Amino acid sequence: MKNRVIDWIDQRFPLSSFVKHDLTEYPTPRNLSYWWNFGFLAGFLLVLQVATGIFLAMHYKAGADLSFDSVQHIMRDVNYGWLLRFMHATGASAFFLVIYIHMARTLYYGSYRAPRELMWWTGQGLLIMLMATAFMGYLLPWGQMSYWGATVITNLFKVTPYFGEQIVTWLRGDYTVSDATLTRFFALHYLIPFLIIGGVLVHLVALHTVKSSNPSGIDLAAKENIPFHPYFTTKDLFGLGVFLIVFSIFVFFFPNMLMDPANFIPANPMQTPAEIVPEWYFLPFYAILRSVPNMVGGVVAMGLSVMMFAFMPLLDRSRIPGGASNRPMVKLGFYLFLLNMLALGYVGAHPVSAQTLLIGHIATIFYFGSFFLIPFISKAEERWLIKRGLPPALTALMEREARDRGNKQARRRSGDDK
Amino acid sequence: MKKFIVLLILCCASVQVWAAEATLQNIKVDTDLPAIESGLDVFMNTCHACHTLKYITYLDLVKLGVDKTKVDGMRGDQPLDTSLVGLMPDAAAEQMFGKVPPDLSLMTHAREGGPSYVYSYLLGYYNTPDGVTHNRIFPATHMPDPLGMSTATDPAQQAKIRKTAHDVVSFLAWAADPHKQERHRLGYYVIGYLAFLTLLLYIVKKQVWSRLK
Repeated sequence: MKNRVIDWIDQRFPLSSFVKHDLTEYPTPRNLSYWWNFGFLAGFLLVLQVATGIFLAMHYKAGADLSFDSVQHIMRDVNYGWLLRFMHATGASAFFLVIYIHMARTLYYGSYRAPRELMWWTGQGLLIMLMATAFMGYLLPWGQMSYWGATVITNLFKVTPYFGEQIVTWLRGDYTVSDATLTRFFALHYLIPFLIIGGVLVHLVALHTVKSSNPSGIDLAAKENIPFHPYFTTKDLFGLGVFLIVFSIFVFFFPNMLMDPANFIPANPMQTPAEIVPEWYFLPFYAILRSVPNMVGGVVAMGLSVMMFAFMPLLDRSRIPGGASNRPMVKLGFYLFLLNMLALGYVGAHPVSAQTLLIGHIATIFYFGSFFLIPFISKAEERWLIKRGLPPALTALMEREARDRGNKQARRRSGDDK
Repeated sequence: MKKFIVLLILCCASVQVWAAEATLQNIKVDTDLPAIESGLDVFMNTCHACHTLKYITYLDLVKLGVDKTKVDGMRGDQPLDTSLVGLMPDAAAEQMFGKVPPDLSLMTHAREGGPSYVYSYLLGYYNTPDGVTHNRIFPATHMPDPLGMSTATDPAQQAKIRKTAHDVVSFLAWAADPHKQERHRLGYYVIGYLAFLTLLLYIVKKQVWSRLK
């Protein structure tokens, strides 16, 4: 019976071949470490955010006079409303943490390099959509920090040449952040996650074309690849269990830890909070914004700071495959960059003082400097490593790649594009 | 890697030192009914004349376990699901204090330091030598010393005021987060379940991977 149903479906839809191609026979490098679990976790969090979000939307009311009260209604009166909201709020932070680790892994192991550039760029697009969703979602509780955060950030669009004022008004739907802003942010906060789901599908199709990278940076021989199911389904589920334990500790015992006290006060357009601080996941970029003395420069720098990652496949000019496991400078650079991010986060979280300004300036210069220096460092490192002698596996791979490149060029010259 | 972790921990530690520069008296709120109920009495007698508690209804008090006849005495002829809104009209409050006293439902969440802030603030009143009352935590406050800390000289009396402040802060902490105890109780079960499930998943993973040569 079961086979007949599946046969019936298979004649109309590629079910079995899909399961085969993408699960039971999808080749996955067996040496993937637990750092490769975070893509799956990000997918899980996307589902969790959408699921809790839909149920929250059933009880939430968007409106300048309604939102703050309706959040309290969810927290107090709706059955397990507090659980939904705390999962959603903690989930947002967890999502960014998981995505940042996912990105850090990509940078550390050089997974963004050919042929995985499109994975990195679709991921970059997903990050920007995630940031937009989080930013708009933060307005919805209509607390003081919601209101003033949205005011500060929408105000940045003033730097647009010629149409600055008009664009800010257009974004807000009013001259200030108001009821009109709140309702449109709610609509977009509900929409963008579905665009993210579409983007994730593209990301996954690209992944299943180029397959996973692995810690060695060398494409493994066929026998070193194992099917995704059952090996990585079980490994991902175990990772999910560990993640959920940590997540639950925050949801049940420290749900307010990352909430700003000012956001427990209803939005008041007449009173600015002592300090306007974004959520932790925006702090490094916010620090860059504040470190540039000129507003136009600050906005451009902040925008660029998010986009800089996209240039990595072009900036990294070393022919030595992989990342930190084969390249000591990548490892060193990675940790320095991470420390720099923490320094920027620290600067973003604290009010402007002579000390934070100085750290902010240095860290901003280091941030952009490290990207601009990558082409030179990667080339110098390549020369140094080749001179020192590479392991035979790497040399063989590099020779093969050089041969492929040569063949491709020869074919192109001879007019045979295939 | 190890050095890096140590560095991370040091960073976190330095941030905490930074946050400790406010001189709050750190307290742990009580979560038992007698303390919360005694805080409720303080709230009704002292705070409620001016302050609202709009997200808490009389029904919430009954559900918490406060004696029904006592709640009935408080609410008079108002329905049970009336929230504890203020007795003072906004205009009168504005005239008296210069501003409308804030709603207290979320007060223990809405200040840096949480319950410790509210506690320290209530006890922060003092008299200057020329007889003016100030508050060391929130100098710009419009609220007159509600518990009489600034005039209390006798240590026994001061201890009593501390106890009163502690109770009312415990009550306000409950009001800000009424599901906290339920949340913690559920949290232990959920985490216990997840720990067991994760252990099983680990065994499954080990088992499956052991087939690889």
